[in-house]
Amino acid sequence: MANVKLKNVVKIYDNSVTAVHDFNLDIKDKEFVVFVGPSGCGKSTTLRMIAGLEEISGGTVEIDGEVVNDLQPKDRHIAMVFQNYALYPHMTVYDNMAFPLRIQKMPEDEIYERVTRAAEILGITDYLMRKPRALSGGQRQRVAIGRAMVRDSKVFLMDEPLSNLDAKLRNQMRAEIILLRQRLDTTFIYVTHDQTEAMTLGDRIVIMKDGYIMQVGSPEEVFDRPGNLFVAEFIGAPKMNTFKTKLVRGDGEYHVTPFGVALKVGGEKGEMLKAMDAPTQEVILGVRPEHIVLADPDDQNAIPCTIEVNEMMGSEYHMHVTTKDETRLIIRIPTLSLTAEQRAHLKPGEKLKVKFEGKAMHFFDTEEEKNILYPYVPEVVE
Amino acid sequence: MSKKNDYDPSAMKQHMGMSAKNRISNTVIYIVLVIMSIVWLAPFVFIVLQSFRCESTWMVGYVVPKQWGLDNYINLAKTDFWHWYTNTFIMALATAVLQTVIVLCMSYTLSRFRFKIRDGLMRFMLILGMFPGMLTMIILYRILKDLNMTQANAVPGLILVYIASSGMGYYVSKGFFDTVPKSLDEAARIDGATRAQVLWKIILPMAKPIVIYTILTAFMGPWGDFVFARYISMNTPAGMNVAVGLNSWLSQDMINSRYTMFCAGGVIVAIPVTILFMCLQRYYVEGVTGGAVKG
Amino acid sequence: MAKYSDLEYLKLSKWDKFLYKLGRFFISIPVGIGHFFQKIGKGIASGVKAFGRECADVVNTFKNGDGITKGTFLVMGLGNLARGQILRGLLFLLFEIVFIFYMIFAGGYWMSMLPSLGKQGPAVEYDPVLDTYVTAYHDNSFKILLYGVLTILFIIAFIYTWRQSIKQAKINQEMRERGIRLKSGKDDLKSLVDESFYKTLLALPLTGILIFTVVPIVFMMLVAFTNYDGSHDGYFNNLFHWVGLDNFNTMFSWTGGNKVYSATFGEVLTWTLIWAFFATFSNYFLGMFVAMMINKKGIKFKKGWRTILVMTIAIPQFISLLYVSKMFAKNGIVNGFLLDLGWITQPLPFWDDPTWARITVILINIWIGIPYLMLIVTGILMNIPADLYESAKIDGASGWKQFTKITLPYMLFITGPYLLTQFTGNMNNFNVIYLLTGGGPTNAAASGASGSVGYTDLLVTWLFKITTGAESQYYMASVVGILIFVVVALITLLVYNILPSVKNEEDFQ
Repeated sequence: MANVKLKNVVKIYDNSVTAVHDFNLDIKDKEFVVFVGPSGCGKSTTLRMIAGLEEISGGTVEIDGEVVNDLQPKDRHIAMVFQNYALYPHMTVYDNMAFPLRIQKMPEDEIYERVTRAAEILGITDYLMRKPRALSGGQRQRVAIGRAMVRDSKVFLMDEPLSNLDAKLRNQMRAEIILLRQRLDTTFIYVTHDQTEAMTLGDRIVIMKDGYIMQVGSPEEVFDRPGNLFVAEFIGAPKMNTFKTKLVRGDGEYHVTPFGVALKVGGEKGEMLKAMDAPTQEVILGVRPEHIVLADPDDQNAIPCTIEVNEMMGSEYHMHVTTKDETRLIIRIPTLSLTAEQRAHLKPGEKLKVKFEGKAMHFFDTEEEKNILYPYVPEVVE
Repeated sequence: MSKKNDYDPSAMKQHMGMSAKNRISNTVIYIVLVIMSIVWLAPFVFIVLQSFRCESTWMVGYVVPKQWGLDNYINLAKTDFWHWYTNTFIMALATAVLQTVIVLCMSYTLSRFRFKIRDGLMRFMLILGMFPGMLTMIILYRILKDLNMTQANAVPGLILVYIASSGMGYYVSKGFFDTVPKSLDEAARIDGATRAQVLWKIILPMAKPIVIYTILTAFMGPWGDFVFARYISMNTPAGMNVAVGLNSWLSQDMINSRYTMFCAGGVIVAIPVTILFMCLQRYYVEGVTGGAVKG
Repeated sequence: MAKYSDLEYLKLSKWDKFLYKLGRFFISIPVGIGHFFQKIGKGIASGVKAFGRECADVVNTFKNGDGITKGTFLVMGLGNLARGQILRGLLFLLFEIVFIFYMIFAGGYWMSMLPSLGKQGPAVEYDPVLDTYVTAYHDNSFKILLYGVLTILFIIAFIYTWRQSIKQAKINQEMRERGIRLKSGKDDLKSLVDESFYKTLLALPLTGILIFTVVPIVFMMLVAFTNYDGSHDGYFNNLFHWVGLDNFNTMFSWTGGNKVYSATFGEVLTWTLIWAFFATFSNYFLGMFVAMMINKKGIKFKKGWRTILVMTIAIPQFISLLYVSKMFAKNGIVNGFLLDLGWITQPLPFWDDPTWARITVILINIWIGIPYLMLIVTGILMNIPADLYESAKIDGASGWKQFTKITLPYMLFITGPYLLTQFTGNMNNFNVIYLLTGGGPTNAAASGASGSVGYTDLLVTWLFKITTGAESQYYMASVVGILIFVVVALITLLVYNILPSVKNEEDFQ
C-alpha cells in the first residue's frame, strides 16, 4: 500500500531510440491507474521500469517515498501479472503460487494458509495439484493473479493480463479484477491497449502515444473532455467522427458549418466560446457516433447523407454514412428508438438527414489538434 | 555502469553493484573457455603435426616433428588408402541421396497422414529400435554373401545395409514437418493439388533446412561406420572403408610402420568432411536442437 | 495407505509429503504392473475377438454371396475381375498363382524342414563321375531357417490378401446391387498419388525395414534357440538344430554349470549401466554448464567459442577416438608429456588398469559429447520464455534460485525423452568403447565366457566380440542381443510409466 511517483522518467534504448519521454505521474495510495495506448506507445516499458525489469534511463521512480531506481525488482515490494501469465510449467498450481513465499522462506503452514485462501477467493481450489498445462486460459490467468496476490506487495502491476483471453472470458475477468481490487485495497497499475478495459477499471487513465502522455484523467474526464484529437479518437467505440469545418462567430452566437449546413453551438459550450471570445476559425469538429441523431427529412438545418453500410449490433445500429463531400460518418442509433418502418428504411443506398447538438461538439484547433475549450495541462509532480 | 535488463536466461547477476563481481566471474569464464578450447583442439593439432613427422613412423612421446616432410602423405599412395577413400566416398554419396529420399518419405508420411496402422507402425519401429542393430549383421553378411556383395564387393552391399533400414530414423525430420502448419497442405489441396503435388510443390521447398540436415548426417555416416563395414568387408582391404582400413594400421603388428601414415590419412579424411560440415553447420545445429526438444 | 485429498496433501510437511509420495510410488508399482498385464490381456482378448469377427464375416460372406463372390474363395480376384476391376483382380490372381507355385516348388520344402532344421549334413561320399570320394553337401540349416521364416511371413501375407479379396468381392457385390459405380483401375492408380499417397511413400522404406531389420531380427531371435556357431554353420561342417532353452540355461546357469556366463553377464551389465549413467549425465550437466558459460551476458566471441566446439563434431569420430586412444597409451603423448615434465616417473596405466580405463573412457566421452549437448542446451535456453525469469525476479529469486528452480527443472522436463534415448543410446555406444579400449583390459575372471570379455566391455561390444571371435558362438550373441533388448525395453517402460515428466513434456509447448 503505497503511492508511486514518477518524475521526469525517460527510457532510451541502446540504439538511441527514446521509448518514453519525460513521464510525470503521481499515483496515490490505493489508486487504480491504467496505462492505455496503441502498441509501441511506451506503456509497457513504463510499467516495466516501475517493476525494475527495465533500466531507467533518466528521472526517478519512487515507491512509498523511496527512490527505487537502483533497487532490484524483488526489493521493490511489488507483485506483477504478465500477459502470458509466466506460470512455471513444471510446477503445480500450488507450487506456482507458493513460489514467491518460499523464496522469502516463509514457514510452510503459513504458505498453506495464504495459498489456499487466495485459491478460494479465485475459485481455483480444485486445481491446486494440476500443472498449468492442464488449465484453461481463464484458469491460468487466475493462477497468475493468485501468485501475485499471496505476497504482501505495495503495488500490484498488471501487464495486459486479459489480452490472451477470448471476448467473453475477458468481460468476466474484468469484473473479477474489480472485485479483486476492492478486496486487496492496494495500489494498482494496469497496462492495456483496450480502451474499454481502461474505462471500466481505472480510477484514472493515462493515455500514451509515442512515448508521451497525451492525457491523464478519470474516465469521465477523458471521455467528456478529451484534451486533444488523439485522446478523443482513442477513447470511445466506435471512434469519434472528426472532420474539418468552420467555427463562425455571429452576433452573440456561434455556428459551425459542416457539409454546407449551419448548426448552432448552443448551451454551455456556446457560452464558453463567448466567454473566450473565440474568433472565426477553421477547426476540427468532433462528434461521437452516439450523439448524432436522425433528423426530420424536411429539416433545412440537418446534414443530408447516404447510407453505405448498416451494422445491426443487437441493441443498436452502427450506421456508416457518407455526406455529399464523401466524408464518412458513423452513427449509433439504439434499436428501440426506431419504429419497424424506420428500420426497414435503413438500407444501404437510402438517403437520410442527421444532426447533432452543441453540447455534443468537441472543438480542436487545426495546428496542434488541442481541445480549444478544455486544453490538457500536464500534471506537475513534486 | 548501468543496470541492464537481461533476457538472457543464463545470466545470473546483472544488477548494479554487481559489476566488480561480474568482471571476476567473466574472467574466470574466459580462462575456462580458453582451457577448454585448447583441450578440444589439441588432439587435432597434434594429429596434423604428427602427420608431417618424417624421422620415425611409430608412436612417440612428443608432438612437434624433428624433421618435417610430406613423406607420409606421399606414401599413402603406395597403400590401399586411396582405394578405401574412394569406397567411402562412393558410399557416402549414394547413402546421402538414397537415405534422404527414404527418410523424407517416411517422416512426411508419418507427420501428415492419419491411416489405420500409423500408431501401430510407429510403436513397432520404436520396439525394433531397441534391438541392437549389430545383431542383424551375421545374417546380413550371409545374405549379401549369396548375392556376392561382400568382401571385395562390399561397397554395394554396405550401401544397401545403410539405406535399407534408414526409414527408422525419421524422428528429427518428422519433428520438423510437424511444425509446418497443416493449413498449408489444406490450402493447397483446396486449390486442387494432389497429395503428391503438395509434397513436391509446397512442403519440400519449405523443408530445405531439414533436407540439408538429413543429407549431411547421411553423408557423414559411412565415414565413421565401423561395425558393418568391418564385418561385411571381412578382412578384405579392397572392400574396406577408411574407418576400418585406418584402424587396421593401428593393430599390434602394423602400428610401428604405419602410425604417422594413419595421422596423414586421418587428416585427409577429416578435411573434406569438416569443410562440408562447417559450411552447413547452421542446418545441423537446427536439426540437432529441434530433434532433442521434440524427443 | 490412505489417499489424501489435494488440500490434505498440501498441508503435510515437506518430509511427510516426500514419504507420502514414496509410499504412493511403491503402491503404484504393483498397480502399474497389474495395469500393464491387464492391458496385454485386453489386447489379446480384443485380438481374439477381432479374429472371431473376421471369421464370422468370412462365413457370412460365403452364405450371402452370389456365385462370383463364392468363387472368389477359390480364385482370388474373381470378385474384382467379374465386376470390371481388371487391375485389382489381376493383381490378386497373380499373387495367388505366385503363392501356389512357390508353395509347391519351394515353400513346402522349407516348411517341412523347419522343425528339424535339416536332416542330412555334409558327408564324404563316393562320386561315380569323378571316381573318387568327395564331400557332398546336402541340407542347409541356415537357409532352412531363413526361408522357413520368409515362408511363414509369405503365408501370413497370403491369408491377409485372401481375406482382402473376399472383402472386396463382398463390397463389390453390394455396390453393384445398389447400382453404385465401382472404382476403376485408373482411379486406383490416381489415388496412389493422392489420398493413398502414403502407400506410395511408405512402400520403399517399409520394404527395406522388413527385409533388412524385421526378418533378420526374427531370424536372430530364433538362433538363440539353436546351436548355430562356427562349428555348426549349417552347411559346410555340421547342421545346427533346435536346442530349446539350453543357451539361456548356459547364460544363467539355471541348472548347474560353472556360472561363468551368468557372472560375466552380471558384470558386463553392471558396467554397461554405470557407463550409461555417467556418460549420459556427465555430458548433460557439463554440456549445460558450458552452454550457460558461453551464453552468459558480457561474454564476447560467443560464436567463436561455439564454433571451436562444433568443429570437433565435424571430424569423423573414428579418427578422433582412435587418435585419442593412442594419446593415452603407455607410450603415448600424454604419458610422454607428463614424464618430460617430471610429474610422474612411471607411465600412467590409462588403458591397463580396470579403474583407470573405466574413468578414462568416461572422461573422453565427455570430450566427445559436450559439443552436442552445448548445441542442444543453447537451443533450449533461448526458448525459455523471458517472462518466467522476470516473474521470478519480481518474486525475489536470486540468480542461483532462478537456475535451480526454473532453468534446471525446465531443462529436465523438456529433455526428458531425449535423456532416455541418450541413456539407451549410451548403453549401445559401440564406437566409443570399441575404438578407445576394444573392451580391454581383459577380465581374466570372465575368461570362460565366449569373446574374451574386458573390463570396459559393454553388452554390445561383448556381442560383437562373440560374433567375430574365434568360436563364433552366434547363438550366444543372439542370447546377449535378446537380453540387451529386454534391458532397454524394461528401462524405457519404467521411465515412461513412472516418471510423469516424460509424459508431460507438452507442458512446455
